[in-house]
Amino acid sequence: MNKPVIVQSEAERRAKNIRRAYAILPVISLSLLTALWFYASSSKGSNFPSPLDIWNRYLLFLEKPIRGLSLLGHIWASLKRVFIALGVAWLIGISFGILIGWNKKANALFGPIFTAIRSVPPLAWVPLVTMWFGTGEFPQILIVFIGAIMPVVVNTQVGISNVYQIYLNVGKIFNASPKQVLFEIAIPSALDAIFAGLRTSTSAGWMVVLAAEMLGGKSGVGFLITRGMDSGDYALCLLSMICIGLVGAFLAIATITLERIICPWTVKKSS
Amino acid sequence: MDSQKIKLELENISQSYIVDNKVTDAVIDISFSVKDSEFLVILGPGRCGKTVLLNMIAGLEKPVSGRILLNGEEIKGSDRRIGMVFQKLALMPWKTVMGNVEFGLKIQGKDKKTRQEISQKFINLVGLQGFEKSYPHQLSGGMKQRVGIARAYASSPEILLMDEPFGQLDAQTRYAMQNEILRIWETEKRTIIFVTNNIEEALYLADRIILLSKFPAHVKEIYEINLPRPRDTMDPEFLKLRKIISENTDLAL
Repeated sequence: MNKPVIVQSEAERRAKNIRRAYAILPVISLSLLTALWFYASSSKGSNFPSPLDIWNRYLLFLEKPIRGLSLLGHIWASLKRVFIALGVAWLIGISFGILIGWNKKANALFGPIFTAIRSVPPLAWVPLVTMWFGTGEFPQILIVFIGAIMPVVVNTQVGISNVYQIYLNVGKIFNASPKQVLFEIAIPSALDAIFAGLRTSTSAGWMVVLAAEMLGGKSGVGFLITRGMDSGDYALCLLSMICIGLVGAFLAIATITLERIICPWTVKKSS
Repeated sequence: MDSQKIKLELENISQSYIVDNKVTDAVIDISFSVKDSEFLVILGPGRCGKTVLLNMIAGLEKPVSGRILLNGEEIKGSDRRIGMVFQKLALMPWKTVMGNVEFGLKIQGKDKKTRQEISQKFINLVGLQGFEKSYPHQLSGGMKQRVGIARAYASSPEILLMDEPFGQLDAQTRYAMQNEILRIWETEKRTIIFVTNNIEEALYLADRIILLSKFPAHVKEIYEINLPRPRDTMDPEFLKLRKIISENTDLAL
């Protein structure tokens, strides 16, 4: 009677070791990076701020807000732009992607123009947008929108136009109307592709907002970096970059979690 | 029900395709009729055009010539009275078992309560109670095919087409499912047209077997199978029939 218990605990022990290894590995790389960071910043005449400098810069930030905003306030200013732009980009991008993915005529009509516009990097729009709309809140959101909508449209279109024939046959057998086929079959089957687009658009939006802010913003993390550069404040630049990385990682995890909740079947595909 | 009533008739059905700028025949002049509540098996070697024939009955393809009559009236395109169990399952991975089974009823615009009541009945019939909320990827091959059968039954078609439904199952599961399909057919009498390339499976299930030739398909022979059910695959009568059909079957390319 004892044996199975021992076998099981052996298996459990192994699983635990593997889990532990996977938990330790990121800690190892992070410690190595920090050690490297200390080393790089400790050499004489180095312009590289040490972790301690960053911490002190953070404390200073708490005392002296920049342009009336705390660090969190600046992060939130950037995030707000991204969220507004993403909301609009997802709504329009998914609708437009479904249109050109489902309707061949619409694709022939709009596809070529879209492909051309898509090839223009979002930052190339900055001068024109600035000349048209100045440097306020709207032009920055517009730039983010341009950067965020492209991957949504492309992925949605591909997902919708690649729906398996066999699922369409099922719809036909049950005499589904074209509208039912679209909403019951094509769109759900494209959801994982659409979500891939949403993930890409989120990270693209986060990158573009920083660039847009660096070019003429008055708040936001991108603005902080420009401010740091202008005033020779290395620690502020690096502190902002760390925040960008952390928020970016958080956004990536959030979109993956959202996908798991909305489409639980994409965890493992059935044949 | 009058078992001698003709349910479905195929009249001189032919199908051809254009392959490399040449007309290639897939199905040549097939005519047969299916009786009400009959278990009809269409048997033919691999890639002979069986699926093409079934797709035409289902309305997924239009024959180049010939007519298909359901209850004496010609049908064109897909018809709600004809359901289908697909070879490759074709369960929708984004729907649960319940979602898949009630799909046809949803398309018909039935309200949620009616849908779930009817679907539950067929989920129970195929023995999947307790798995209503599971997704297809959580099920075994045999269970998935049960979902496919329940889905086809739930929209209460008069005729069920089954395109090599057990072709991808392992041997043990396949035998079990053959018994299941007979049990379900005896509980819920419908006309079944079952396509297979397996002679033993055809003999085990069929009231009648329509033997097709190799590609392009035409009807080679029609066998009435009058063995009592449940059939024994080791029964001398069974083996004799098996030998006769086997010798008459073309080899697949």
